[in-house]
Amino acid sequence: MSGVFLEGIVKRYGSLSVVHGIDLEIKPREFVVLVGPSGCGKSTTLRMIAGLEEISDGTLRIGDRVMNRVAPKDRDVAMVFQNYALYPHLNVADNMAFGLRIRKTPKDEIAKSIEEVAQILGLTEYLERRPADLSGGQRQRVAMGRAIVRHPDVFLFDEPLSNLDAKLRTQMRAEIKRLHKRLGVTSIYVTHDQVEAMTLADRIVVMADGRIEQIGTPMDLFNNPVNTFVAGFIGSPPMNQFSAVIEEGQGGLVARANGTTIPLPALEELRGAAGRDVVVGIRPEHVHLGAEEGTSAIPIELDLIETLGSEALLHTHVGNETFVAKVETHGEIGHLQGVNALHVKPERVKLFDRETGRAIGRAA
Amino acid sequence: MANISNSPSDRSDGVIAGSAPSVGPTRPFAKRLDRIQMHLRREWQIYLMLAPTIIWFLLFLYRPMYGLQIAFKDYSVFLGFEGSPWVGFEHFQTLFQSDQFLRALKNTVIISSLTLVFGFPMPIILALMFNEILNETFKRTAQTIVYLPHFISSVIIAGIIITAFSPSAGIVNTVIGWFGVEPIYFLTKPEWFRPIFIGAGIWQEAGFQSIVFLAAIAGVNPSLYESAVVDGANRWQMMWKITIPCIMPTIIIMLIIRIGNLLEVGFEMIILLYQPATYQTADVINTFIYRQGLIGGQYDLAAAAGLFNAVVAFTLVMTANTISKRVSKTSLW
Amino acid sequence: MRILTLTAAVLATTALTGVTPALANDDLKIVDEPLELTVHIHHVRSTAYDENWPVEKVAQELTNVYLKNATVGSNTTNSEEAMNLLLATGKLPDIIGSARIKEAVDQYGPQGAFLPLNELIEEHAPHIKAFFDENPDLMKAASSSDGNLYYIPYLPDGKYGRGYFIRYDWLETLGLEVPNTVDELYEVLTAFRTQDPNGNGVQDEIPYFARQWEELPRLVTLWGGRSSGSDTYHDFYVEDGKIQYPYMGEGYKEGIKNLAKWYEEGLIDPEVFTRGSSSREYLLSENLGGMTHDWFASTAGYNDSLADKIPGFSFKAMIPPENVNGDRIAEHRRILVKPDGWAIGGTNKHPVETIKYFDFYFSPEGRRLVNFGVEGEQYTMVDGKPQFTEEFLTNGRPVNSQLYEIGAQLQARGYYQDYEYEKQWSNQYALEGIELYEQGDYLIPDFLGVAMNADEQRVFDKYFSQARTYMLEKQQAWILGAADVEEEWDAYMSQLDRMGMNDVLEVMQSAYDRQYGG
Repeated sequence: MSGVFLEGIVKRYGSLSVVHGIDLEIKPREFVVLVGPSGCGKSTTLRMIAGLEEISDGTLRIGDRVMNRVAPKDRDVAMVFQNYALYPHLNVADNMAFGLRIRKTPKDEIAKSIEEVAQILGLTEYLERRPADLSGGQRQRVAMGRAIVRHPDVFLFDEPLSNLDAKLRTQMRAEIKRLHKRLGVTSIYVTHDQVEAMTLADRIVVMADGRIEQIGTPMDLFNNPVNTFVAGFIGSPPMNQFSAVIEEGQGGLVARANGTTIPLPALEELRGAAGRDVVVGIRPEHVHLGAEEGTSAIPIELDLIETLGSEALLHTHVGNETFVAKVETHGEIGHLQGVNALHVKPERVKLFDRETGRAIGRAA
Repeated sequence: MANISNSPSDRSDGVIAGSAPSVGPTRPFAKRLDRIQMHLRREWQIYLMLAPTIIWFLLFLYRPMYGLQIAFKDYSVFLGFEGSPWVGFEHFQTLFQSDQFLRALKNTVIISSLTLVFGFPMPIILALMFNEILNETFKRTAQTIVYLPHFISSVIIAGIIITAFSPSAGIVNTVIGWFGVEPIYFLTKPEWFRPIFIGAGIWQEAGFQSIVFLAAIAGVNPSLYESAVVDGANRWQMMWKITIPCIMPTIIIMLIIRIGNLLEVGFEMIILLYQPATYQTADVINTFIYRQGLIGGQYDLAAAAGLFNAVVAFTLVMTANTISKRVSKTSLW
Repeated sequence: MRILTLTAAVLATTALTGVTPALANDDLKIVDEPLELTVHIHHVRSTAYDENWPVEKVAQELTNVYLKNATVGSNTTNSEEAMNLLLATGKLPDIIGSARIKEAVDQYGPQGAFLPLNELIEEHAPHIKAFFDENPDLMKAASSSDGNLYYIPYLPDGKYGRGYFIRYDWLETLGLEVPNTVDELYEVLTAFRTQDPNGNGVQDEIPYFARQWEELPRLVTLWGGRSSGSDTYHDFYVEDGKIQYPYMGEGYKEGIKNLAKWYEEGLIDPEVFTRGSSSREYLLSENLGGMTHDWFASTAGYNDSLADKIPGFSFKAMIPPENVNGDRIAEHRRILVKPDGWAIGGTNKHPVETIKYFDFYFSPEGRRLVNFGVEGEQYTMVDGKPQFTEEFLTNGRPVNSQLYEIGAQLQARGYYQDYEYEKQWSNQYALEGIELYEQGDYLIPDFLGVAMNADEQRVFDKYFSQARTYMLEKQQAWILGAADVEEEWDAYMSQLDRMGMNDVLEVMQSAYDRQYGG
């Protein structure tokens, strides 16, 4: 298995630049997810790796070969498309065999591969069917099967689950994860859905406006977003963010916003920061209903309770900023009705420079 | 393809009728009438929209069928359809006892089959070629040029052909003259008539007919090509393994339609191009009827030949459709 | 005395201006009270009747009969189509005038759609009767198979239609005489081909050409054959009371054999079959064409139009060369009776008035009106004869179109044309040419057509079209050299017999005998 290396990859259409220079190292067998809002350049980056788009500038290597000018077929990559790109006139078996036949793989070998892959994907009984006669999930599996039979060096996934309904998506997510474990092929996966990114990725690459915002493991991104963009993008519901000013409080520095003071963690970077304009970020998961050791209270007004079952989302506001909290229900929501304050530990409070949006310091 | 099913409305109608309170003893007819009434009341807008088409069909396609009876009559314009005496199959006998009709039938079949064999793939090939052109300006220019002949009247096309194949000044004879070939008076040579006529037909129509295939090609999901590129297919393979199979339903539908028109050889073009010297290969049913009509105003005989044409065309379409349905699962109905 | 002078003065004025012709011709009035008759008028030049035509205004005034337009099918220029539409309506107007009306009256007259006219003419139409008494064959030609006359035909005047034209200046250049025999013609055409009479150094001359390829087989008359018996191509002809078909005779075979030779030797336009109607214009203006057989008037016109372009251009008529039998034959002449004209509808309630109205156009006044237009407008009387006014002849517009516009020379009427009308505006060279032909006696009798009964018609319809197709195919094949006439002739004749040609001749003969015999 090969790694994939992007150095200063740029994509320009005429004078319009859509990918501004991406540096990324993907290790062999790693599962990397490119995530970001639509138009952030993640698909373009993937297509450059596949060879479907020309690379305007920079170097792409797969293993130790520079691939910039190598034809797609010689890059030894396989791609799964958003709309599956199944050939409507071919049945499942022929769809999967397509790439192998193009490569003039011996017949018995093709048959063997297909049988094997069909087994893995649970498609054995559908091999004679045409795509039109398959369900969405089955089609998705055929699309993956088609990639798998080729035994490529690198799998490329371009939003492969976005056409499926929510339940099927969860199911397929797990299946992809299982497959990756089993096959251990280097995989690059593009999605705009951060849940997919979090659940699938070894490492996530968050992109915005043609740039990489942050690269890291899912937990890394969750806990230590490097800027307000990543903080807002990763996590569901997203991190609460509001403007504040740092002040000297009783037990150290506090952030004052909307008439509330929030105690801050003791960080090297904050020394002498009183008066600094910041953005305070607090994850909905990081608030408590009751006071605990070391927590401080934020007075809120409750607007709405969204019940999810074992958890509930409290939509509240602090002054004129909305604030969402995710709390456990323990099977009932009666006790949530009268909530008028939320509690947070200082070390859970993230701080970002208001000017640049960059994170200030790192907490545990 | 055009499998128009009205089952959803049937179903909803059924539900309504079922839940409607039935009055008195259930008589199937009354119930049915009731159901139709209910249906009409509910869906009247849709029927209203359908009405112009139905009226058009009745007026212009079904009513004239009444006149077909003259194929079996000794028709007199003055006596009218009803007044003219019946003669049974006499006109058909006359046709089939005539060597020239049989020759015309043979020529019709040969010319239209050759037109089908050579003319049908041309627009597809053209469309595929246009699809491979990357330069937009060149593509648009080329398309316009090949569409152009379609918009020129047959008379002018015939003039162009006559000039092009003229033994003294024609471009064709000039070119073959460079290779030392003596000028050939093409348009009086029976053996040259079909190639010239069919070639001209292709030249005139292939470009325009390619539009429908271009549209079909444009409808092919582009990620199929991307997927194939990643799989390692070259352009040639993509054309054969993706483009053509993907537009196959369109190709088959067009083919069935063409087969239905197999006996309809563009006869005004033949009239303009043929000579007694080339009747041998050029005379088709329509031109035969045309000459026949000029002599005797034999509407009844012409109707008989037309009816024969229609029956053959109908049979051909049915056959083609059935075969296609079985083999490729694509069909007109 | 005084009164007499006044009357004379009034009469003189009337004759001079023609403003009040009714005064002078009260006897032309057909009815005392104005009578209105419906009319269908269909001709390619006028697909409806217009009661405001100046000619009609005069006719109304003179006859007191008013026609009212009831034309069916005015949106087509095809008169037969319009006629079929009219017949299909089942209600015919009082008067039906149309191009190619004969087929309709022959077929539907006996069925009652049109009134037979014989008795009406006998009793009420002195001028028509006088005309037919003088020309009994034309009456027969216009009659239907039941012996009745159902329409009053348009009767063209003038004799010669087409003539041989040759480049006199080329003859002069090559020092040749106008060919007098078929052999001399062969030599002249060969000289045209080989001796570069147009002097451009290239052997590009086309010795004999024709706008209609049918004018090529016309040349079989030079070997004693025939190509047609009327002004319609490939028509039957009559010889000693026997109906013959031209493409079955020995002279025809001989002619085709020679024409094939001429064609091979390049004496005939190699593209004669496809060059089409523009060939005369092209070949003459490019100084390539040497000889043709075409209409006098239009062909002679090139002497004027090409005078500047080609110095010395002289394309003039020559009399038909002597054929192998020593005869000079002008096969083409203007037909004497046309299948165009008008008829009385079967439900007309005023047949007598209608036939009198038809007769009006055969009276001197009516004939003048329909040929020359309105006196004082288009023509004046000079020495008792109508003469187009100078203004009318020289205003730059074609005379015939101007006449069509006022309702004159409308050939959906039955009338007897006056060749004088055409003579007054014909090209000088055309008149010279016609004059040349008039001096000899080159015309041969025309075949004026027969009206077959239903049984004869059935035989004719069954065989003739296909037999004719076969003959034309062979004709071209022989001329083009694709086959040899000598070799194939016997097989050809027996094939024609198999195709029913002898049956066709038989029914034609019986129809002919019935119509013209006795």
